[in-house]
Amino acid sequence: MQIKQLQKPSKPLTKGTLSDESFITLFMVGVLIVVFGIACFAVPNFYKAQNIINLVTNNWFIIILGIGVTFLLITGNFDMSVGGVIALTGVLAVYFCQGRNVSQNVLANGLGLPYGVAVGLALLCAMGVGAINAFFIARLKVPSIIVTLGTMMLARGTAQVITQGAQRNTSLPDSFGVLGSLGIPGTSIRLAVIVMIVLILVAFIFEKKTVFGRRIYLIGANPVAARLSGINVTRYLTALYLLSSLLAGITGILLASEFKAGVSSRALGYEFDALVVALLGGVSISGGFGSVLGMFLGAIILSVVTSSATGLLLSPDWQFTLKGIVTFIAILAQRFALDKRRN
Amino acid sequence: MNIVKADSIRQKLDRSTAVRATIKQVYIYVVLATIVFIFSIVKLDKVEFFGRGHFLSPDSIINLLRTAVPILTLSGAFTLLMISGYIDLSVGSAMSLSAVVFSWMILNGFSFLPALVITLIVGIAMGFLNGTLVMKLRITPVIATLVTLSIFKGMALLIVPDGLSSIKSSAEKTMPAWINDYARKEVLFGLPWAFWVAILAIVIMVIIQKKTILGKYAAAIGGNRLAAELSGINAVLVGWLIYIIVGFFAALAGIARASYMSLGDPLSGDNMELACIIAVLLGGTAFSGGEGSVAKTMIGAIIIMCVTTGLMTVIPAYWQTLATGSVLLIAVVMNQLLAQDKVKV
Repeated sequence: MQIKQLQKPSKPLTKGTLSDESFITLFMVGVLIVVFGIACFAVPNFYKAQNIINLVTNNWFIIILGIGVTFLLITGNFDMSVGGVIALTGVLAVYFCQGRNVSQNVLANGLGLPYGVAVGLALLCAMGVGAINAFFIARLKVPSIIVTLGTMMLARGTAQVITQGAQRNTSLPDSFGVLGSLGIPGTSIRLAVIVMIVLILVAFIFEKKTVFGRRIYLIGANPVAARLSGINVTRYLTALYLLSSLLAGITGILLASEFKAGVSSRALGYEFDALVVALLGGVSISGGFGSVLGMFLGAIILSVVTSSATGLLLSPDWQFTLKGIVTFIAILAQRFALDKRRN
Repeated sequence: MNIVKADSIRQKLDRSTAVRATIKQVYIYVVLATIVFIFSIVKLDKVEFFGRGHFLSPDSIINLLRTAVPILTLSGAFTLLMISGYIDLSVGSAMSLSAVVFSWMILNGFSFLPALVITLIVGIAMGFLNGTLVMKLRITPVIATLVTLSIFKGMALLIVPDGLSSIKSSAEKTMPAWINDYARKEVLFGLPWAFWVAILAIVIMVIIQKKTILGKYAAAIGGNRLAAELSGINAVLVGWLIYIIVGFFAALAGIARASYMSLGDPLSGDNMELACIIAVLLGGTAFSGGEGSVAKTMIGAIIIMCVTTGLMTVIPAYWQTLATGSVLLIAVVMNQLLAQDKVKV
């Protein structure tokens, strides 16, 4: 009798009911539809197909960053270094590519490596930042927020030193701009957007269908239990930090190629945006909850809100306040919806 | 035989703990002395020891202390917050917003005292908001204060009129020259009011931490919040109060910065939260809370000011971010290596 009672599955597992995760995702779909509807009313021409495509394609970098940040957030860790890594990778790629001893100007001289080698080395350096993060957080058990803020400064600081606080954009080989200019002609869909779509699909399958992906949730829900049940938490966190930095590195390479320049102030504040889209998508810092799909929805919600603010001719200074308020409302609304559902 | 062995091992362990505790007590002073020593011997070929332009000349020291006013004002309260196990990433933005509000009021004809009081009330309101999000609505401190960071910064940017980068004299209005008096006019030993107010803030925070029940409660909550609550401490109220104190001192720091620069720059407080975290970590406060010292944070604050301003006299300014980041990571490592009890997850 007692055993039977114990074996009775708890409510969320019964057939026909949604899991909390799908519930929040659906909830955010609803929010997206409402926000989009309001935007269509308030902003002229908002409903046009081109504008809707732009909502996704203009935010490809935030979505790519969001993948790594989401996985880390699910395990209960922050990664605030991604913005710095973007700047560092872009600057390094440019520096490695620039011709050797081509001019008197220090900023025009680089190492003269072929493009492929330069990109590879720059990505390695990006993963080096991830390795520093992983060492401090997974091995030394230092709070992730402090470490990643430190490595953010380290990465951006190195970029500033290499560019002497400005940018490097001269004496670059023609091959440097190829990646950034590839795309489907006549549309706003560039290579970067295709990369983003592929990465989102891979991340989605990785999250739902692999053992690694499912274990991320276990680590987030209860790190001690995860360790005791034989999961090497250190190794998983290390892999995730390397992944997050690699994704930021790829973003940095694509952005540098698009602008044909390595700018030390590139991607200022992107770490905050990546965190915001993950939070908007229902990812919770306190324990193994959230999804890449939710993050994607969050990114689109944020882009609807910010672009309709621009469409309403609000000054760009509104962006900060708006992002803060939207995140705050989203966190409260999601918690309220979950509480309602559980009672 | 075995017992003797175990005893000797225990003695060894005790000794290593004692050594570690001693290192923890003194290392920060050694670091400060080393940094001061290094900066005072570079450029010796150009300037005399203690001469004009030397790192240890009176005018350099006074200049260093004047630029250190905001962090000295703020980091005491920040230490108390970290002792209680919380964090406030919005202090930089709170400082910027206060600076903008203060200078806007001065520009629009307020006199000093009303502007000061109103700005401090704004600071208290910001602290109250942070406290509400973290303590009442129970949003994770990092996320809650990142949200308010964004909101405060946005508001500071919105107050500044379009086309201007800060609140300053324009064609229609001129900023009164006396806005400088608070943070630049010498009152005692060549140092301005703002510095002595910062010293007063430090004294108050040291007393609060060491001598009052608020300090004890903060340490208790940081050590073990559940135990603290079970023994009758109102953790929500205490945390809320500490957030308000931090907001108050952030506003005071913002006023000092606005007065020093004689304009209201909406970006003037950027990275202040990092400087505060570095100062607190160098001062030996544990990440997880529970122990720490306001007085030692001040040594940490002086170290970070020496590094950032002292370094700039030797190498170009674009090294600053890298230097600050490195100091932060070094502080993290030292803090972790010297931690008394290592908790394994």
